[in-house]
Amino acid sequence: MDGLVNVEAVSRRFTLDHEKNGAYVTALIDASLHVSAGEFLAISGPSGSGKSTLLNLIGCIDKPTTGSIHIDGVDTSSLKPGEMSRLRREKIGFVFQTFNLIPVFTAAENVEYPLLIKGVLPSSRRKRVAEALESVGLSARANQRPDLLSGGERQRVAVARAIVHRPALVLADEPTANLDTKNATQLIDLMHDLNRRLGLTFIFSTHDARLLEHTDRIVRLCDGQVISDSRQSDGHIEMSIQGGSRG
Amino acid sequence: MGKYLLLAFRNIFRNRRRTLMTLCMVGGGVAGLLLAGGYFAFMTHGLRESTINNGLGHIQIFTAEHFKRDETRVLDTGIDNWRQVAATITTGGHVRGVAPRIEFYGMVSNGVKAVGFMGSAVDPAAEDTLGFVSRVETGNDLDSKPGGEVEALIGKGLAKSMGVGVGDGLTVLAMTADGALNGVDVQIVGIVNTGVAEMDARYLRITLASAQRLLQSDRVTNLVVGLDATDNTDKVAAELAPRLQGLPQQMILKKWIDLATYYKQVNTMFNGIFLFMGVIVFFMVLMSSVNTLLMSMFERTREIGTMLAMGTPRSWIVALFMLEATLLGVMGAIVGVIGGNLLGVLLNSSGLHMPPPPGYTVAIAFRVLHVPAQMIGSSILVIVSLAFASILPAVRASKLQIAEALSHV
Repeated sequence: MDGLVNVEAVSRRFTLDHEKNGAYVTALIDASLHVSAGEFLAISGPSGSGKSTLLNLIGCIDKPTTGSIHIDGVDTSSLKPGEMSRLRREKIGFVFQTFNLIPVFTAAENVEYPLLIKGVLPSSRRKRVAEALESVGLSARANQRPDLLSGGERQRVAVARAIVHRPALVLADEPTANLDTKNATQLIDLMHDLNRRLGLTFIFSTHDARLLEHTDRIVRLCDGQVISDSRQSDGHIEMSIQGGSRG
Repeated sequence: MGKYLLLAFRNIFRNRRRTLMTLCMVGGGVAGLLLAGGYFAFMTHGLRESTINNGLGHIQIFTAEHFKRDETRVLDTGIDNWRQVAATITTGGHVRGVAPRIEFYGMVSNGVKAVGFMGSAVDPAAEDTLGFVSRVETGNDLDSKPGGEVEALIGKGLAKSMGVGVGDGLTVLAMTADGALNGVDVQIVGIVNTGVAEMDARYLRITLASAQRLLQSDRVTNLVVGLDATDNTDKVAAELAPRLQGLPQQMILKKWIDLATYYKQVNTMFNGIFLFMGVIVFFMVLMSSVNTLLMSMFERTREIGTMLAMGTPRSWIVALFMLEATLLGVMGAIVGVIGGNLLGVLLNSSGLHMPPPPGYTVAIAFRVLHVPAQMIGSSILVIVSLAFASILPAVRASKLQIAEALSHV
């Protein structure tokens, strides 16, 4: 329980039809995961395997049906909505599949937004935004609105936005799904570089096997269960098989 | 908060056509209110000044017993030494002059038939000084020259009823101060059209000298005070009241607004209509804006989900939507105020006339006054209306489930 993220036997069921009691679909079954600070971790699996559900639960934008999740020592199941909101604001950065930038803001203003809601002073905001954009190589595009940026640039702005407030954890749900292979690889390399340079913990989901070569640790999901958790260092792969068989 | 304000401002212009439509609607509401309110203001202002200048004056002085008087013997409660009272009044500031009056009732006869009248006796020179005008349609006003004391003005309806015209003679009959019936012969020098048919059927005006001879008294019923400006009425009344306390007779001072019953009724009616129009505009803006703002909210579901996911407090989302609506209201109000005033200028220069209102015989010029209080009031109305309209979309946006909002297409 001393890791940054501790997911313990978490399940998530979604009610299908409010009229019929008991009709539900299980998106995640008894999933457990422990992530230490500074890790660069990929959650892999086919569509519908529960990747996004797991990331939503770790990101405190959803609550598990059973099980518990601790983020930086805080049991999120006991938090009220306002406290969850504060936890996300303080400790988590998000990168979304469709970039989700605010279209009326420039790149710099989008990056500034997490600092704005965190109450950081303007002078400090300006400095940190410049640093964040510099770190993703987009200083020259700071004053462009998202519709004038390419897909790869938009996602790099989203990464800058996710790291600008120096969160303990960055969650990226299929960040490369809307990018071509070249941009996707560059983005993963950028995130990995930020992970190494700034010591940020990254958890991202993907179903693109080519990108997994660039990651240190891969957690595989299938049908809502964690089926393997492997680490690779210096070409050596260490794998642990998890989860039981499903009836 | 500056960045948040900027975000709200830019959000307004995301869908320019929709924003333009909303601005037109809000601006149209404000402009409509300003045009109607400006016309009402012109009407009430015109009615106020014409009421005062037609002889009501700004202030009138009566004896304390005047309002308990017997209408057949009006001078029993009249002002005894009215010249002294008038002198006391004229020493004050802003006073243009004082005109003595006798308001009396009686019968007027052409030798064949007699008709009741509501008469007033005036000093033509004093009336001229105060700029009081009789609406003489045919003939001339009363003359202050020697020999003019037998002259009379009568209403259009009364002239028709008696079958007389300018130059004809009439006998005016009334009760003297002693209770005896007395009569004086007068010569009609003018026919008056007051604009009110009922008034014209009873209108008679003679000189003060004729009335005093008729009523066998040198008293007057009231003194009419004219000021340099209507806005000074309260100030002069407050200054005059204590000075009237030291006179032999106990006096009562009445401001024009206390005596202008018709003006007050018209003003109340216009205020009621304006309020009703304001309520209609409020709900019109409210209902149409709720729909527009809800559409805006649905279009931005994923963005709101993103903002909430990043930890934006839900209260900030409510504030953002309300801020956007309020800014839209401010812009709509500006459009409306500019548009309303420009339309007002155009209408004022068009020379339009409105048909005479019920009971009136004279067409009224269509003019719109530019009243700052109405501009502020109408603007506040639409801003508040839009802020109200944003509550439902704002609360809905703030209650979005983040995971669902993020997957919204």
